[in-house]
Amino acid sequence: MEEQSRDDEVSRRGFLLTSAAAAGLTAIAEHPRPAVAATAAGAAGAAVVEVALKVNGKARTLSLDPRVTLLDALRERLDLTGTKKGCDRGQCGACTVHVDGRRVLSCLTLAAGVSGKAVITIEGLADGDRLHPVQRAFVECDGLQCGFCTPGQVMSAVALIEEGYAGSEAEIREHMSGNICRCGAYQQIVQAVRMAKEGA
Amino acid sequence: MAQPTMDRIDARAKVTGAAKYASDHNLPAMVYGHMVTSTIGNGRIVSMDLSAARAAGGVIEIYTPGNRPAFRGTLPPPLAPVFAEARHPLADSEIHYYGQIVAMVVAETIEQARDAAALIKVTYTALPPKSSFEDAKQNPADPPVTGLPLGQPIKKPQDVDIETALAASQVRVEETYDIPPRHHNMMEPHAAVAAWQNGKLTIYSGTQGPAAHALELATVLGVQPADVHVISPYVGGAFGGKAFTWAPALLAAAAALALARPVKVVTSREQLFTVTGHRAASSQTFGLGTHRDGRLNAIKHHTTSQSIVEDPGYRTTPKYYLAPNVDIRLMVTPDMNLPTATIMRAPGDEAGSFALESAMDELAVRLGMDPIELRMKNYLESTLIEAKPYSSKHLDACYRVGAERFGWSRRSTQPAAVTDGDWQVGLGMSTAILDSGRASTTVRVTFRPNGTATVGCATSDAGTGMWTIMAMTGARALEVPVDRIRPALGDSGLPVAGNNDIYGAVGSAATSTVTPAILVAAKEAIGKLVEHATTAAGSPLVGAGDVRYDGGRLVGAGTSVGFGELLTLTRTAEVGAQGTSAPLDESHAYASYAAHFCEVRVNRWTGDPRLGRFTTVVDAGAILNAKTARNQITGGVLFGLAAAMFEEGKVEGATGRISNANLADYLLPVNADTTEIDVHFLDHPDTRLSPTGARGIGELGTVGAAAAFANAVYNATGKRIRTLPITPDKLLA
Repeated sequence: MEEQSRDDEVSRRGFLLTSAAAAGLTAIAEHPRPAVAATAAGAAGAAVVEVALKVNGKARTLSLDPRVTLLDALRERLDLTGTKKGCDRGQCGACTVHVDGRRVLSCLTLAAGVSGKAVITIEGLADGDRLHPVQRAFVECDGLQCGFCTPGQVMSAVALIEEGYAGSEAEIREHMSGNICRCGAYQQIVQAVRMAKEGA
Repeated sequence: MAQPTMDRIDARAKVTGAAKYASDHNLPAMVYGHMVTSTIGNGRIVSMDLSAARAAGGVIEIYTPGNRPAFRGTLPPPLAPVFAEARHPLADSEIHYYGQIVAMVVAETIEQARDAAALIKVTYTALPPKSSFEDAKQNPADPPVTGLPLGQPIKKPQDVDIETALAASQVRVEETYDIPPRHHNMMEPHAAVAAWQNGKLTIYSGTQGPAAHALELATVLGVQPADVHVISPYVGGAFGGKAFTWAPALLAAAAALALARPVKVVTSREQLFTVTGHRAASSQTFGLGTHRDGRLNAIKHHTTSQSIVEDPGYRTTPKYYLAPNVDIRLMVTPDMNLPTATIMRAPGDEAGSFALESAMDELAVRLGMDPIELRMKNYLESTLIEAKPYSSKHLDACYRVGAERFGWSRRSTQPAAVTDGDWQVGLGMSTAILDSGRASTTVRVTFRPNGTATVGCATSDAGTGMWTIMAMTGARALEVPVDRIRPALGDSGLPVAGNNDIYGAVGSAATSTVTPAILVAAKEAIGKLVEHATTAAGSPLVGAGDVRYDGGRLVGAGTSVGFGELLTLTRTAEVGAQGTSAPLDESHAYASYAAHFCEVRVNRWTGDPRLGRFTTVVDAGAILNAKTARNQITGGVLFGLAAAMFEEGKVEGATGRISNANLADYLLPVNADTTEIDVHFLDHPDTRLSPTGARGIGELGTVGAAAAFANAVYNATGKRIRTLPITPDKLLA
């Protein structure tokens, strides 16, 4: 396959997709624009973008279909499957990761749109065998049942403690409400956030 | 007695992202299947234009009714054809409900499969769908005879004339209670990764019963059950929705076979509402007639539902209150253009308890009697129909202790009498009763040279705490620290006892089923180990006469050796045995009980009902792990409260489309909707049920929770809401 940088004349489809990525992300202009390559035939879906990410402290370079979300890049390309797909449309919070320190729904984020940024996933939270204090508190307070929403809950909890939104039970409940737990372990999750915050 | 408590042993894997759920498996050369679903509710496919999809990059194959994957058999009776979709995916061009699978695109990547699926154009001949339960319930039919007890009339006496008995009662209540369809919406949508090698299928697919899932897959695919290996150590929520086999797993397996490549199929959230099962809508009429002193004379419980799956009469009414005249009946609305009805947490029990416990509250109001006193007047010591005594029932203590903890005596008997600023405050209570039981099952216990012992059974842990319960029970049976036990579950290769136990973790019976079998298997395994110690070459105890097992060590002939050391000395990889638990003692009836107490606050201007406080006191036999048991109860209560507060699958009558098939429009409780739920366990071990004394708790919290909420809403506002969910529009009307 002939690969050639065609920044100046991307296919219509590639253009639309890159525009969509830009529209979905406000901070993209500060970061290197992904290079778009297309085959000579310019067939739909054949374009690839070069995406450079720092994932859990490690530099990763990917040649991606521009349609790939950050969630699918993590799960299907980098085999970082701790981040979960619960709804794929930003309604459940299971896919929450940190991008440059902020909570982001990775299912609503195109991977190409965060090129050059630092991504922390659930796999990057512990220090070797030593769990992050929020992870320890979730274990101790039993802040989970099936565990499928747990990576997202933990990533949100870490961020909200850092952001100063864990001041009271009501504040924790409000700021953890973007993460659905169908098993209903909410009171144990609140206890875990409080415990982690007090230890922090 | 202090209840044992322990952190869940699977928690570390779950908080680090290491726990591998079905769709977390990425195999070499794996491809992706994406389903396409129908956009009409009734009719047939006339044509499908696949040209654009076939031309799209990366597309490998497109399965349609005209290019069907090979399914050779049907789901095995007696349960699966009733509780799951008996029709094969893509069986023909007929459309039975909106959202039915009409194609599956297989492509090299997830994006290619998804976007090619969007390029398929289907032309239909559409007929008006029969999708409105409101319309269909006007003309219900007798239920089919399936051999299952569901749907069969229950009468006491056999020739009861319930209308006459009700008319002869001094005080009567007769009302109808309606519940909309609900969807499990477990956080993990159904997903499967399937791979074939040498005619054998390995499939990663979340299930409550690995052995049943393997059998169902094998039967439909036309292979031997032993040639299907289901791997499901972690299940991202199930609630009955993963008890049976659904299309995504069947399609993944069939496509992987045809293409000779591993195939991953992940159901989208929207598809989950239609390609897997749900709880059908129900409409229940309760007639209660009492003497002036509150003793029940007559109970009429007539239900209409989409199918026999949800039979609140059978599941609820014979377990609650004593009455001489009883008439329980189910009618169904068959052949509706709706997705398949299946079991969902407390099937029948949740709906039935909402209606019965609401009706009892209405009766208490009419009698001018305290709701707890009314319930105690009609207390059941043995089952209503067979008069079989209950093994161990402390529901009276649940009422007493719960009333005390909650402050029930401070409740105003006048509704709409208590306000706190803009909020009307009310208190309500209800009873939860859930049949308990256990299957006779088989467990394997194996000693290993590294000093650990494996305890294995083909059950499942969808968040229930089973991993931890198995480890704790194994430690107790083998008298070793729990960190030396390696539990094994979620694998169809592990033992089960045969037909009465293949369904694994269903009916709140996993703990009561598996733990007594662990005790039996441990005893058998210890026997084998002692025999090994006295006979195996290299053992320091060869020929010793009185060798015994004591706390992980073999003791005899003035010496002792740990089992790990023994197996190391004898160069043996493992010594173990299977054990099968004794059948259930059928002389008694078994049930778990709880008394729920709820405070609701209703905004007087907006009608917004909020959960204020909740206390539940639980009599569920021995509590084997207080930490996970508490979580099961609080989560169960919230599951039931969600029915009262939020949940409703909205079916458009004209199209059969579920208009809110996503998590923004189908409301589930979020953290800010909830409050601390106070749980108290009575802890009376039920030793007649089993030597571990544990009954079921998984569904108990859910039972009755909606009625406690609705009764509190009445106490707060004077408004009796008989149609769930209890939304502000109903309270402002």
